[in-house]
Amino acid sequence: MDRHLPTPAERFIRGILPENPVLRQVLGICPTLAVTNTMEGAITMAGAVLFVLTCANVLVSLLRPLLKPHLRILVFTLTIATFVTIADRFLAAYMYDMSKQLGPYIPLIIVNCIIIARCEVCGSKQSVPAAFLDAVGQSLGFALALGAIATVREVLGFGTWFGRWLGIRLLPATLSDRVWAPWTVMILPPGAFLTLALLLGAVNWAGARLQKAEVSR
Amino acid sequence: MNYLATVLMLAIATALINNMVFHFFVGCCPFIGVSRKLDMAFGMGAAVTFVVSIAALLSWTFTYFILAPGAPLTTWLWRLLRPGSTAVVDLSILNYLVYIFVIAWAVQLVEMYVRKFFPALYKAFGVFLPLITTNCVILFTCLEIMKHVGPVPGSVPDPWGLDKALIYALFAGIGFLLAIVIMAGLREELEHCDVPASLRGPGITLVIAGILALAFLGFTGMDSSLARRLVPTAAPAAAPSAASAERPS
Amino acid sequence: MNTHRLADAWLVLVLAMAFGASLAAVHAALKPRIDANKLNDTMSQVPMLVPGATRGERLVVADAPLYRAVDAAGMLVGWVVPASGQGFADRIEVLVGLDARAHRLTGLYVLDQKETPGLGDNVTREGWRTQFVGKPTDPPLQVRKGTAQAPHEIEAVTGATISSESVTAIVNAAVRRLREQLAAGTLR
Repeated sequence: MDRHLPTPAERFIRGILPENPVLRQVLGICPTLAVTNTMEGAITMAGAVLFVLTCANVLVSLLRPLLKPHLRILVFTLTIATFVTIADRFLAAYMYDMSKQLGPYIPLIIVNCIIIARCEVCGSKQSVPAAFLDAVGQSLGFALALGAIATVREVLGFGTWFGRWLGIRLLPATLSDRVWAPWTVMILPPGAFLTLALLLGAVNWAGARLQKAEVSR
Repeated sequence: MNYLATVLMLAIATALINNMVFHFFVGCCPFIGVSRKLDMAFGMGAAVTFVVSIAALLSWTFTYFILAPGAPLTTWLWRLLRPGSTAVVDLSILNYLVYIFVIAWAVQLVEMYVRKFFPALYKAFGVFLPLITTNCVILFTCLEIMKHVGPVPGSVPDPWGLDKALIYALFAGIGFLLAIVIMAGLREELEHCDVPASLRGPGITLVIAGILALAFLGFTGMDSSLARRLVPTAAPAAAPSAASAERPS
Repeated sequence: MNTHRLADAWLVLVLAMAFGASLAAVHAALKPRIDANKLNDTMSQVPMLVPGATRGERLVVADAPLYRAVDAAGMLVGWVVPASGQGFADRIEVLVGLDARAHRLTGLYVLDQKETPGLGDNVTREGWRTQFVGKPTDPPLQVRKGTAQAPHEIEAVTGATISSESVTAIVNAAVRRLREQLAAGTLR
């Protein structure tokens, strides 16, 4: 791994694309696939992950001098589970519709590899500002990946974008029924797998192209 | 017959129709990561099935007796401390914390036990046991069971006893085993194929998963049609709220 | 060895206590709101399901919840029965509205379903559900492909006969339950 630890700003930038948790590290696939049939679901999930990851990473970074190596995972799990419970209750109280739609996927954040990996890689080693920016960067990367997949799935599957919150329709309702039938498969599980697969392929392809261009230069 | 039919329907619904991987997307990390070789995939699937059953037993017991609103053990303890209190004791805020620790503890226990008493079994899937703590399948099953546990009558729409919880967990595990073994079999064949460079690894695995998910969609509705054949009178509405109509108090 | 281990674990214990306390605070602060949300899910439907009703009163009869729909003066105008059953894909949960003597259906609402999008999930559409309004409860409802010909017939959703039959069977079971309870005198 790196000989010197990245600076807070580097951590932030890396989280968004170069070390994007979903697209580059292929972590947290379960929520990525499960909640992305609407933009609302994707954004709410990304918000919950932002909250949990930021709180957990900062707290772990604060406790860093006290952590014993063999109890470290226990502390991480305890911290994450607590913040996930808080996020879950908060959603149930203030965004009941989203809480019902996301159902078990909010508590499943506890076993989301992204969060425990960030606590291990960054939170338990670096200062609070670095941990904070790392968490925000990674969450933005996560939101970006979820938003990209959800955009494809909701637009093709329902013909809307943020259909429930903003009500954006790509074609007027009267026209869309006749001209274009929504691709129901996109909101079903196969659509999720295929969209993510193609997105991963596209990112890898673009990455390879960039690398080649750099080498030849 | 009616009970058997219910069990069969629950089993089919859990393992095939609402398959953990292809319908709920849980357990995707090991599904992508450990599906390169058939024997490893089988070991992982077997380990998950084993642990999920034990975790279900523990989480059902904990939820029913301690955590759920109005749980008997907690209520009894509370009444002991505060005689005359009629408040409904509700510890469900601790659910997630308890589940994750129950799972971690169950995994440790199973690992020690299997290593000591079943060395052959340990050789087959022992290496996967520590990985399972963070396997979504286990926590998801616990959460699904949680939704169906209510010691207070009428508090949950479809209450499950321990038997149903265990059947659910067992077939959730079997569904995962099935998914990961199918995937590993396909990926072994894929070794000989010329996959585009950018799709190699997770990419092509997800493409295959998408096609498999499409195939698994074909199971939809199988349970309700089967139920109609097996229990012609009960039709599709074998609902608990409907069943309770049979015995008006 | 033992004390040494405990000394190691002090951080975990302190954290557990702190987290427990904060969770208790969150629980105390948010629980009323969450409970209100859950109840509201059903309660807000009561005036839509039973004409003339302004609110519902929750009862638990034979281990299952049931709602009395009452008007502004507190007089009984109907019932709302939550019911569920196996649909085509997964369980379907509905609310069935009936008049005070369970002679006619007054409304139907689908709370939760996971039927095939684009086909089975059309059972949630208002156009399909309004067929149930005003139907007599005796004899039991039946699904018909095509156009309904008798008063107790329900037109199936095109391409989703099983979902339509499931919902109808759930409604019939709910009606039967309420009628039996009314006949037994457990409700008034």
